[in-house]
Amino acid sequence: MADVHETNRKRREKIFYGLAVLVLFFLPFFIPYKALGSQILIFMLFAMGYDICLGYAGMLSFGHAAFFGMGAYVTGLLILHQNANILVAIFAGVLCSALLAFPVGYTAIRRRGIYFAMVTLAYAQMFYFIAFKWTSLTGGDDGLQGIPRPDFFGISLQSETRVYYFILGFLLIAILFAFRVVHSPFGHALVSIRESEQRAQSIGFNPARFKLLAFVISASLCGLAGSLYCILQNFVPLKTLHWSISGDIVMMTILGGMGTLVGPLFGGMFVVLVREVLSTYTHLWALIMGVSFIVIVLVFRKGVIGELKKRAVI
Amino acid sequence: MVLSPNRRFQGLGPDESLMNTTTLIMMLFNGLVFGSYLVLLSLGLSIIFGMLGVVNFAQGALYMLGAYAGYTCLLFGLNFWLALLVAPLVVAFIAMLAERFLIRHLYKEADIYVVLLTFGLMLVFEEVVRLIFGDLGRPIAVPDLLSGVVNLGFMYYPKYRLFIIGVTALCAFGTWWFLIRTKLGSIIRAGTDDSEMVDALGIHISRIYTGVFAFGAGLAGLAGILAGPLQEVTPLMGNEILIQIFVVVVIGGLGSIAGSIVAGLLIGEIITLGVLFWPTAAMTSIYVLMAVVLLVRPRGFFGRVGFHE
Amino acid sequence: MKKSIETGTIKAQKEKKVIGKEKKPSIITRRDFIKTAAITGAVTAVAPHIWIKPAWASDPLKIGVMIDMSKAYAFLNKQDLVGIKLAVEDAGGKALGKPIQVIARDHRLDPGIANEKAKELYEKEKVDVIIDVPQSACSLAVNEQSRRYKRLFISVDSGTTVQTGEKCNYYGFDWGYDNYMLATAGGLWAAENLGKKWYAITADYAWGHDLLKNFRAAVEKKGGKIIGNDMVALGTSDFSPYMIKALNSGADVLVLLNAGADTVNSTKAANEFGLKKKMSILHALMFTANIKAAGVNVYEGDYATVSWYWKSQNPGVKSYVDRFKKAMKGSPPHWLTAANYSATLQFIKAVQRAGSKDPDKIIEQLEGHEFRDMFANPGYIYKENHQAINDALIVKCKSQKEITEPWDYFEIVGKVPAKQAYQTPAQSGCKMKRPA
Repeated sequence: MADVHETNRKRREKIFYGLAVLVLFFLPFFIPYKALGSQILIFMLFAMGYDICLGYAGMLSFGHAAFFGMGAYVTGLLILHQNANILVAIFAGVLCSALLAFPVGYTAIRRRGIYFAMVTLAYAQMFYFIAFKWTSLTGGDDGLQGIPRPDFFGISLQSETRVYYFILGFLLIAILFAFRVVHSPFGHALVSIRESEQRAQSIGFNPARFKLLAFVISASLCGLAGSLYCILQNFVPLKTLHWSISGDIVMMTILGGMGTLVGPLFGGMFVVLVREVLSTYTHLWALIMGVSFIVIVLVFRKGVIGELKKRAVI
Repeated sequence: MVLSPNRRFQGLGPDESLMNTTTLIMMLFNGLVFGSYLVLLSLGLSIIFGMLGVVNFAQGALYMLGAYAGYTCLLFGLNFWLALLVAPLVVAFIAMLAERFLIRHLYKEADIYVVLLTFGLMLVFEEVVRLIFGDLGRPIAVPDLLSGVVNLGFMYYPKYRLFIIGVTALCAFGTWWFLIRTKLGSIIRAGTDDSEMVDALGIHISRIYTGVFAFGAGLAGLAGILAGPLQEVTPLMGNEILIQIFVVVVIGGLGSIAGSIVAGLLIGEIITLGVLFWPTAAMTSIYVLMAVVLLVRPRGFFGRVGFHE
Repeated sequence: MKKSIETGTIKAQKEKKVIGKEKKPSIITRRDFIKTAAITGAVTAVAPHIWIKPAWASDPLKIGVMIDMSKAYAFLNKQDLVGIKLAVEDAGGKALGKPIQVIARDHRLDPGIANEKAKELYEKEKVDVIIDVPQSACSLAVNEQSRRYKRLFISVDSGTTVQTGEKCNYYGFDWGYDNYMLATAGGLWAAENLGKKWYAITADYAWGHDLLKNFRAAVEKKGGKIIGNDMVALGTSDFSPYMIKALNSGADVLVLLNAGADTVNSTKAANEFGLKKKMSILHALMFTANIKAAGVNVYEGDYATVSWYWKSQNPGVKSYVDRFKKAMKGSPPHWLTAANYSATLQFIKAVQRAGSKDPDKIIEQLEGHEFRDMFANPGYIYKENHQAINDALIVKCKSQKEITEPWDYFEIVGKVPAKQAYQTPAQSGCKMKRPA
């Protein structure tokens, strides 16, 4: 009967997650350098946040770099110019990303599906351009340089190891939050809207409102990733707003498996690691990634984690 | 901390007296030139969308391929006129292969997968070109017959730019005529509305899909080789213009020929004139316009209600 | 899942964000949450404060090189690496009794990656210096890491004056050129020799604005004036309106304050509108590779400022160029490659003079040091802001018939002495924080 398989599957799932958590806790000790680990965590968070928009709300956004960048710049500016407390700076970054998501989402959601992709891309490009020109605020092309790393309630975060665990803490909280959202009635309603907007509407849901809220939640998580990125890097490059970052996130999410939350986490780690390793061995790495992406979209549409789930492995 | 947008360098703005009517008219023509690329590219994008429901994220990359195909033709000793013919065909051929062997498999899946595939194709095209040709720009020379200026009576204007406007007008008219006036064109338009019916009539809809995709790509390739002599040919030359044609089709209405043409020229003029008068805001103005259109008339000026929404 | 949808809209909307009380398929409970938070907090607090142990003193001298190996500057930067390796060779290949190691990293012109690689190089590879790092934003990022890790950094391929000014760093040095030098040397020479009335076309961002400011100062010093300027957005492909205005202005000199694609497009437009018959064109930044890419006839007759040219008469140049050509299949080194060579050579010599890898002792040897090598004859390093200065050369792009051998695109037509070309430390605004 299905029950035995289901029990086994649940067991495998628990083992998988347990292992994953272990890996995250001990990652700094077996990767080449700790800053890489922190970067992995940040992109895992970014991709997972993005999945709420793509995988659960079914909206293909190509503009999430705007939220990542917004989080990074706001946090950076507060630390650099106002000597803000680290938590205040991070919170402000998240808040501003969320606020930005309202007008962007409101106009973009009016066009569904692929129109949405184009529109979000265009918006992101606009923000990139604004940041580029507003040199006095953002540093323009040079980016926001020389941001010190504040202490966390008296604990110094200068060590790359310490800051890794600091970021890990946020990632874990974010994961728990995302899981709660996705498995709540709100999350279920979102999925039903994604499956068939007409049907959901006939039941009485207002799809636009749900999608907008999902978009804002997604933007907030991506903004958090940006804020943490700023703290890790001690500076905010203009690149954080560039649409190639949006493209990267799409790749990570699809590769890992959209609509699973865990998939993008995996995808984020995988892509950052592979990129790092590949680029030291061959200059064909970008081509390999592009071709792999095409293969995934054609054949393994559900991504690694998605396929594993489909086959009830985990 | 200064919280004001960067102002133009004080005291050294363009000298007002140098900006006379001739310059203005010249800029209007330049806007038409830039608009021409946008028209060709968005026409291709619109037609592909209208027929296949696909937003071709690789349209900018195909434009870039057109320029490189032209460059390669010239390398092999072909003259510019032959290259002008061959380059779009090469790009159309590449697109045909992509459609037949890759994109086709995803039609029955959710829309976003095809978009993602074209996005992946864009990445791959750029990388392949970079690996073959490197990152440095490649030169394409203006053909001798078209170099120099022509006396229009009220001003002198480069011949080659007029040529671009002319070719684009021809293509746009030709495309319209083909789709509206010919039998094959009406089949294509019918297929847009109801592909099953067309299939039931015994017409190979899949071949039409391929043909339309190749045609849309060919237009992009043509734009690429036309643009080649006037700007640097690099692997990334398609990226910025891709975003601009997205703005064009949102404003004009995705799937509409008239929309692509009108909006393409409009955006071309806005960017060209805007950059001259108000460089800081010129680029952002088109996105603001896009946002306004989305709020006021989401389907675009010429878009049809409920069309592939 | 189906249950909650069929229950109705009001309940669903109310429970939108409420943590549900019903049974969910989620495996995460509130207890897990608290556990996780506690563990994370504890680990963060007690995580070993891993700093770089000074036990690297006995390792061989390691030179980290960060360049672009896969993007727009790849062609130019790969040459830099060859130049650096030749410098190691010329220094004897050894320092303090051990062979010198060169470790190269690709930053892909991305400041975020540059930041990462700097941390990797300083922390994992434990390099004693990072050399090069093209592109100003990348260079500034590495400058910060150099300050944090207290290790040497010699920036070569980047023009920003911020590095030896506002963000000057005790452990950082700048070599080869900067924006001030390009503008000042070019401005001084051209205002004297090409004409007093100038028209400028400026790339509308920080770099362009900076150059314009410095050019104006230099031109006015020689009694000239910039009579018109256009700010042009990056990536503009159509420069025709600006060319018309420049033509109508009656200027003697057109100065193009842009780089890369913008330079190509603007110069092509200048040709198209016959500007070269009426005025001279001066470029802000130019490499022989640009000419190879766009074609000799595009740049013919134009002027530019460089720090060195492979046909320069400095002692040691010929042998360097010959060895370089052998390694690079015929292409001679461009001027920043020579700057990298010089930076590496002088660094190694400073280490040898100091007799130690201690950054403070090496810095002591470099500050205020005058040196002569095939790049700078002479060169000098300011103590106050760690700027290495050298004479600037003004070159003119040859026409097709003047070119006698491959890659010989330039003709040296003038020279501006180092002290005139570069800022004085006081002008740079550097307030260097020295260790106690």
